[in-house]
Amino acid sequence: MSTKHSKAAEKFLKDYDKVTRHDQTFWSVRAKRDVLAYELKEWEQLREAASNIKKHTITHLADYLEEFERNATANGAIVHWAKDADEYNDIVMQIMQAHDVHKVVKGKSMLTEECHLNSNLIKHGIDVVETDLGERILQLMGLPPSHIIMPAIHITREQVKDNFAQQGILEKNGKMGAESMGVSDKTQLEAEADPTYLTRCARYHLRDNFMEAECGMTGANFAIASTGEIVVCTNEGNADMSTSVPLLHIASVGIEKVIPNYDAMGVFQRLLARHGTGQATTVYTSHFRKPRPEGEFHIILVDNGRSNFLADPEHWQTLKCMRCGACMNTCPVYRRSMGYSYTYFIPGPIGINLGMLKDKDANYHNCSACSLCLSCENVCPVQVDLGTQIYKWRQNLDSMGHADPMKKAMSQGMKILFQNPKLYTTALKFAPLANSLPSFLTGIKLNAWCKYHTMPHFASKSFHEMWKKGEVK
Amino acid sequence: MKIGLFIPCYVDALYPEVGVLTYRLLTSLGLEVEYPEKQTCCGQPMGNAGFQGMADKLVENYDELFRPYDYVVAPSASCAAYVRFFHQGIVKHECEAAKRTMDVVEFLHDVIGLENMKARGFKASFPHKVSLHNSCHGVRELGLSSPSEKSIPRFNKIRDLLSIVNDIEIVEPERPDECCGFGGMFSVEEPDVSARMGRDKIARHIATGAEYITGPDSSCLMHMSGIAAKDGEKRIKFIHVVEILAQGL
Amino acid sequence: MSTRENILNRLRQNVRETYDMPDLSFEKTTYADPIAEFIHQTTTTAGAKLIEVKPGDDLNELIRQAYPDAHVIASNLPNIKADKNPDTVSCAQDLDGTDVGVVEGGVACAENACVWVPMNMKQKAILFISESLVIIVHRENIVSNMHEAYEWLKAKDASPEGTSLYGFGTFISGPSKTADIEQSLVYGAQAAKSLTVLLI
Repeated sequence: MSTKHSKAAEKFLKDYDKVTRHDQTFWSVRAKRDVLAYELKEWEQLREAASNIKKHTITHLADYLEEFERNATANGAIVHWAKDADEYNDIVMQIMQAHDVHKVVKGKSMLTEECHLNSNLIKHGIDVVETDLGERILQLMGLPPSHIIMPAIHITREQVKDNFAQQGILEKNGKMGAESMGVSDKTQLEAEADPTYLTRCARYHLRDNFMEAECGMTGANFAIASTGEIVVCTNEGNADMSTSVPLLHIASVGIEKVIPNYDAMGVFQRLLARHGTGQATTVYTSHFRKPRPEGEFHIILVDNGRSNFLADPEHWQTLKCMRCGACMNTCPVYRRSMGYSYTYFIPGPIGINLGMLKDKDANYHNCSACSLCLSCENVCPVQVDLGTQIYKWRQNLDSMGHADPMKKAMSQGMKILFQNPKLYTTALKFAPLANSLPSFLTGIKLNAWCKYHTMPHFASKSFHEMWKKGEVK
Repeated sequence: MKIGLFIPCYVDALYPEVGVLTYRLLTSLGLEVEYPEKQTCCGQPMGNAGFQGMADKLVENYDELFRPYDYVVAPSASCAAYVRFFHQGIVKHECEAAKRTMDVVEFLHDVIGLENMKARGFKASFPHKVSLHNSCHGVRELGLSSPSEKSIPRFNKIRDLLSIVNDIEIVEPERPDECCGFGGMFSVEEPDVSARMGRDKIARHIATGAEYITGPDSSCLMHMSGIAAKDGEKRIKFIHVVEILAQGL
Repeated sequence: MSTRENILNRLRQNVRETYDMPDLSFEKTTYADPIAEFIHQTTTTAGAKLIEVKPGDDLNELIRQAYPDAHVIASNLPNIKADKNPDTVSCAQDLDGTDVGVVEGGVACAENACVWVPMNMKQKAILFISESLVIIVHRENIVSNMHEAYEWLKAKDASPEGTSLYGFGTFISGPSKTADIEQSLVYGAQAAKSLTVLLI
């Protein structure tokens, strides 16, 4: 009995210390969230409010999208609608071609990853530069993200240094990087793979790209219907640089990102960073209403399955998700298996659920990555019942043809046993025989329990038997 | 008040002494306790494996068997939680007994009450340092303690209950309600993650300096003790909460 | 049928139960002294500097003292001595190389040191491209929490001046930062390396 997740996790878990570091890293973000949560007496009310605002908005989404479009258009933005990833990419390319774009600088956006934007742009000969530091590092290394907020935390400083050296970034931008730290000689900084030095090298490397790009692309954390504006939250200011230099801004917005008004925005602004990074706020909370003077502002509203998720009574509430990553940070399984063990590009509890909604056949493997501890449900800012939904997905695996045959057989065996009290008590009588199973049988590698546990010891007399014999007093 | 004793399948087979002590403890408090023998399992193993539908007969049998009782008490937080929160989703008819099913800790704490227990002659001594294992389903489904994720006043019913035991020292590990990794089928479907979670949890319990890990769920204790035994880890022992409470009997 | 119609129809068809907007009037954390809290958060958590301006102080002098090595100052504020003006540069790129950008802030939030900086200049690049940023904050604009900050913005929206001149505004809390490399906190990722609030 194994899944793609369990097999990948097995490999990751071989490096004990690496797993310890990975686990501590994400737990520390959970711990920071806790500190901020305990400080606010209204914390649970904020979560309840956020959940209810989303439930209201999602169940009136058509009206709010129309209101958003009306206001955005009145502001001078150009609003597009994309039913799926293909149409989204077509729209992007049309805009790119109309503006003769050769280089795009990009803020972090899960939606663009979902739609495979980058590979499509590259296919059309457009250079796309990720500007979030973690995303840029991964892009240069040719690696996928492992977490939606801190995508490159698993990469060591040495790995970053080596890659930057290979890419010529240390040579081209090292001097300025060092000078920005007030250091004239970069040798020591490079020897130590100093994170500040590496970050500053990336700063000037990306600065060169901001200067040259014809287009800046961002996602949107929120789209406010009452004003027609989108809100983008970052710590680095990269989404802002991307949209303050190039004159063309394309914002990609999942339709579920719409919220009604500024009252709602107050609730969400207070919850987002506290949950996602353990800060009271991101450094920048930018509100984009109008195109810049001489610029153009395009907003692409993307469906890509979301309108259908709404029809699923058990799973529609995943549409509330703010993509904060808190569920990953608290998930004891994610922390010990990392993003690469999951088959969907979003890992952790929300990734398991979104992956099943998007493509059950590709992603059912992730359903094993959960001990049903329910910690995720308690940290989610919008109270998505993540663990309970994973339990529900498991109930459907059989009808999808994806149930593990061994689990099915075991469950069938248990059904017969537990439905039949006589059979059950007889089995209990014979169970102690298992105690004397030769250890080579119990130690056998195929027995997943015995890989890490000693065999449990069957009592010579079960409770049932003792009761029958009048020995329970 | 008539109590129906529910002894989950694995307690029945592996830790019957926990069942015996539960019976003894409840009766020592002057409670009327019966054990309807036709019981077997709560159905959670099938449910977690994705086959909750296979537990339908079992759920109906449970309801029929335990309907006559005012409370159904089980010495297992996760089993009590499965009955109370999941049985209704498996069958169409109204599950009555499920609504009245409780884990022994919450039963003693909420229904009987600590003062009442003392008035009824509760007496136990356990001169040892114990580290509380706040099992996930106990915390997040039954509400045995305040989940560490929530910004609410801190409480812990297990701690409260154990605090009326004489001479005991109660501590909690860091990450007080992080999952130990058992999760039923999870432990065999994701054995490597499960074992790493178990090892980490054991290490945190040991770091408190406690002699025992104690909790309301034998499944968690079985998982951790199995790992500890396999690893040759002898620095800590395992004991169910009921075994501590029944020390004086 | 257009994609737009398609999506809107599907959304209307697929809804089963609807939910109302919740009551948001529950009590929120406020501070007895929001100004003190704002100063505290700005100078600790946000990693910024804060100078309390006294009556008669020369802002240009304060900026010079805060950034003695600065050669290029950018601002469109009438009382600030600037080398570049974000209203008159030919393009955003011309603001690259700015040592200190000086801008005016609106509402400022105590709980998180956020200052609303409206785009009241033609090139908002000044807010991000400057190596250091100076934001002027008026005490009477300091509120306790973000709910109050958004109330302030709602009032501005209802007024003739609106929330900004050019249709963009951003809450800024301290200098740009990242911890993407081994969780090591670094100031000055893609935008300002340092931020100073001039509190009037």
